[in-house]
Amino acid sequence: MTYAQAVADGIWAAGTARVGYIPSVTVAPIVTALIASDGGADGSSPRVTPLSREEEAIGVLGAVAFTGRLGAVVMQDNGFGNALTALTTFTLSYHLPLLVFANTRGGLGEYNSMIHSISQPMPAVLRAVGLPVIELDRRSGPEDWHDTVREAGTHAVMTYRPVVVLGSFWNTDGKVA
Amino acid sequence: MKRIEALGVLAGLTERHPVVVTCAATSRELASVRDRDNHLYLLDAMGLVGSVATGLALSVDPSAPKVVGIEGDGSLLMNPNVLPTGGYLAPSNLLLVLLDNGVYGSTGALPTYSARIDLERLAAAAGWTTRRADTPDGLRAAFGELLTVTGPAFLYARIEEGNAQGIEKLLIDPVTITGRFTRWLREVHAVSGADA
Ligand SMILES: [Mg+2]
Repeated sequence: MTYAQAVADGIWAAGTARVGYIPSVTVAPIVTALIASDGGADGSSPRVTPLSREEEAIGVLGAVAFTGRLGAVVMQDNGFGNALTALTTFTLSYHLPLLVFANTRGGLGEYNSMIHSISQPMPAVLRAVGLPVIELDRRSGPEDWHDTVREAGTHAVMTYRPVVVLGSFWNTDGKVA
Repeated sequence: MKRIEALGVLAGLTERHPVVVTCAATSRELASVRDRDNHLYLLDAMGLVGSVATGLALSVDPSAPKVVGIEGDGSLLMNPNVLPTGGYLAPSNLLLVLLDNGVYGSTGALPTYSARIDLERLAAAAGWTTRRADTPDGLRAAFGELLTVTGPAFLYARIEEGNAQGIEKLLIDPVTITGRFTRWLREVHAVSGADA
């Protein structure tokens, strides 16, 4: 099992009803796996669809919770700056469970000379606004990533709030950037 | 047509519809006209009405009445992605009503782009079926026509500038809105998380 497959399987194992994604080269294999397992191709399937920006992803997938089910967002961590108002004034304030998986940038394995400016402080920024953040990296295997993503979804449902899982793909079988 | 007149018409037409309403004066005026459990007031998060309504439309039972979003011009322009995303995902049961007064009505009445940018044509270009209205009767008729459309529908309603006077602020905990709206969806439209 690859790390990407582990994340995709973990998202479904959490009971996720619908997934929205904002593309990144790192999450592309996760998205491809999600779409393949949902019977789709070419970037979308009945329950997995692209979105154009992180803010709307929080609105579209957060709304799934009103129907008693769980939505998930797959994205890259440099997009949280676009999503903070929606995450706080919508999902957190309205007590809506939401599973967010984001790959991290700006750390080990990074080539880009400016992306660390947003990505490096992001765990602290997310925690400062009251979002639970769970961090994954090379030190655990795909089985652990799978179980962690699944349990993060369960935790979101249990606690009626968004939960963020951050995954660093450096020194895994995935691509950092 | 004043905003509160438009909202009076919409309140009368949406008793069985999930309704997502934009923040500040629009939510407040709708609640003053009629406050019901099917109203999902977004108390902040400008621009999110179309996104939330799209997510709901994709998630509720397709046999339920259309999800209705009530949005303002300034708010839509804060997240115009709503239009291409709605057109692309194309839920069959989504009706977005845009109340365009040409200004950010709740933030000092500064002008929006709408004097020079035709928001109805923007929606049409993104794949929405559109209608236009500037009177209460026209609004009622356009709403009825758009209910028969399968796919994202956009009702452009031109309203006058200005807020109704003497309307109380909506000072409620958002989680109570979630509780009553979710219960309403479950009880009236049998939407449940049983398959989750
Ligand atoms: Mg306005």
